[in-house]
Amino acid sequence: MSPSPVDLGESARKEARAERVFNALVIGAMVLGFVTLLGVAATAATVLARNLNYTDWVAHTYRVDTAIADFRALDERIETARRGYLLSHDERFAAGVNQLKAQIGAQVDFLQKLTVDNPRQQANLVALRQEVAEQFKAIDVSIAFARGGADDSSQFFNDTGVASTRVIRSRADAMEIEEKRLLQARNAERLSSVRWLVTISIIAGLLLLFVAAGSIFVILRYTRDLGVSRAELRRLNVGLEDEVATRTAELQRANDEIQRFAYIVSHDLRAPLVNIMGFTSELEAAAKPLSSLLERAEAEAPAIVAEDARTAVTVDLPESIGFIRASTKKMDRLINAILQLSRQGRRVLAPEAVDMGALLSGVAATLQHRSNELGAEIVLSPNLPTVFSDRLALEQIFSNLIENALKYLKPGRPGRVDVSGDLRGGRVVFDVKDNGRGIDPKDHERVFELFRRAGTQDQPGEGIGLAHVRALAYRLGGTVNVESALDQGATFRVSLPLRLTSSEPSR
Amino acid sequence: MSEQQHVTIVMVEDDEGHARLIERNIRRAGISNAIRHFTDGSSALNYLEAAADGPALNGPALVLLDLNLPDMSGTDILARVKSNDRLKRTPVVVLTTTDDKTEIQRCYDLGCNVYITKPVNYESFADAIRQLGLFLSVIQVPEVEAKG
Repeated sequence: MSPSPVDLGESARKEARAERVFNALVIGAMVLGFVTLLGVAATAATVLARNLNYTDWVAHTYRVDTAIADFRALDERIETARRGYLLSHDERFAAGVNQLKAQIGAQVDFLQKLTVDNPRQQANLVALRQEVAEQFKAIDVSIAFARGGADDSSQFFNDTGVASTRVIRSRADAMEIEEKRLLQARNAERLSSVRWLVTISIIAGLLLLFVAAGSIFVILRYTRDLGVSRAELRRLNVGLEDEVATRTAELQRANDEIQRFAYIVSHDLRAPLVNIMGFTSELEAAAKPLSSLLERAEAEAPAIVAEDARTAVTVDLPESIGFIRASTKKMDRLINAILQLSRQGRRVLAPEAVDMGALLSGVAATLQHRSNELGAEIVLSPNLPTVFSDRLALEQIFSNLIENALKYLKPGRPGRVDVSGDLRGGRVVFDVKDNGRGIDPKDHERVFELFRRAGTQDQPGEGIGLAHVRALAYRLGGTVNVESALDQGATFRVSLPLRLTSSEPSR
Repeated sequence: MSEQQHVTIVMVEDDEGHARLIERNIRRAGISNAIRHFTDGSSALNYLEAAADGPALNGPALVLLDLNLPDMSGTDILARVKSNDRLKRTPVVVLTTTDDKTEIQRCYDLGCNVYITKPVNYESFADAIRQLGLFLSVIQVPEVEAKG
């Protein structure tokens, strides 16, 4: 049920890949959207500018048209004025003619200026100017002729003025047609640009719609994936907690088994030990009548006392018994140590709120005499946390660790033991740090084993203390380990759960 | 002492050495009663419950019981003895290495009369057994009621 780390890595990689793809897609969609909007705006601006331009041009065309119409009117009026003069010889008509001539010239100039952009109209104007000049000439001739007094209508019929007026009229028509053509062309262009704008807008709209739909799809899918991976993460988290709980339970079970084993072994070892010690005493007791017999024999019949018999009774027997006794006493101490350890393991833990500052001060106080003798000091860091655990077990753990620190000081260096503790997550980590002789890294595991010791064997002890500490730490759901190098002091680190939950099998 | 002469001491002890040391020290205390030694639970039970010269059928007895036996637990023997109508008044002295509090309580609950932990130190052990012997010399053992 519990997922393997390979699965974890795989899912993390998958997630990272999905995130990269998602980011690329979203950024791509956003860029596409913005580019489209920009394109539409630019197109609209261009089309609008062009439309404004076209409107200007259309207006211009109308102005040209009006100017042509004005010219046409002036030209008709000069013809009328001429005819008036020819009929009435009224000089006011002649003056009118002259005035109109100037106006017509100005109008042609005006037209030329207006149509400076159009070579066709310019060509038309060049022709018009010539035709106007010819008309003027005809007008001048006919007026001069009339002023000469002739009232000859035949002359009138020879007049070229009428013909040139007609030519001018058709020229003006041509120019109007040209302007109309221009107008039509410009209108068509404007229409086509508007149509183009509409097309572009529709395409852009579709594109935006597509981008939006795509983005929403991607976001929805990503959100769903995110939900799935979050659920997965939750599951893994729960799995992890279960795994930690299982691991702790396993450790405790193993510890319990060792305790039970120790209990059985110590009891079973005790039985033969009682025999050895008992019969050794019996032997010793039996040796007494033997040695008094020897004394009597030496006193009464020294000849029968063989040298080897005497050595056996006076030297070998007591010596052997002495060695047996020393060994059995040592064995008795070891068995008692195991028994004590297993008895500790069978004690029912009673979790309670323990102020570690007060507890450690108490431990330091009981070791005060010892540390004073050694010239060492025990320094407790302020603000030690409060834990919910078994008071007696904690007391034993820390008195063992601090006692050890005092026991293995570096000769010639004033001893100092620092005890600190702080919260890390749901756990409390205590450091018991000394500046003593330290432990060779190869012995770091060994020192926690029962009956194993490290370094120079110059201190009394059976190698029980740290094994006891480790067993207790396991029982409290914690761990203990050491960081040290030879001559560098040692730091024993005890990590405990902030709250001891009694998950122990009932005994 | 003559009154106690016919009380048989039934010793259930799997360790021959312990049995010998116990016997020696009881003798040193001046107890001369017959001692029947069994090294396993079933033969001891067989003797107690069914043997023709066993306490259930014939004469009073006192049981010295070790708890660690190869074939069964001493507490089982204790329970059998104390639940047997003909044996239930037979004094049982539990003499064992176990000093577990719950085990001691259990034995008294089952009706054990005395519980003694064997001291590992031999001098204390010898002392304890001798005192037990002195104790045995003064206690009254009830007669087994006649059948019917």
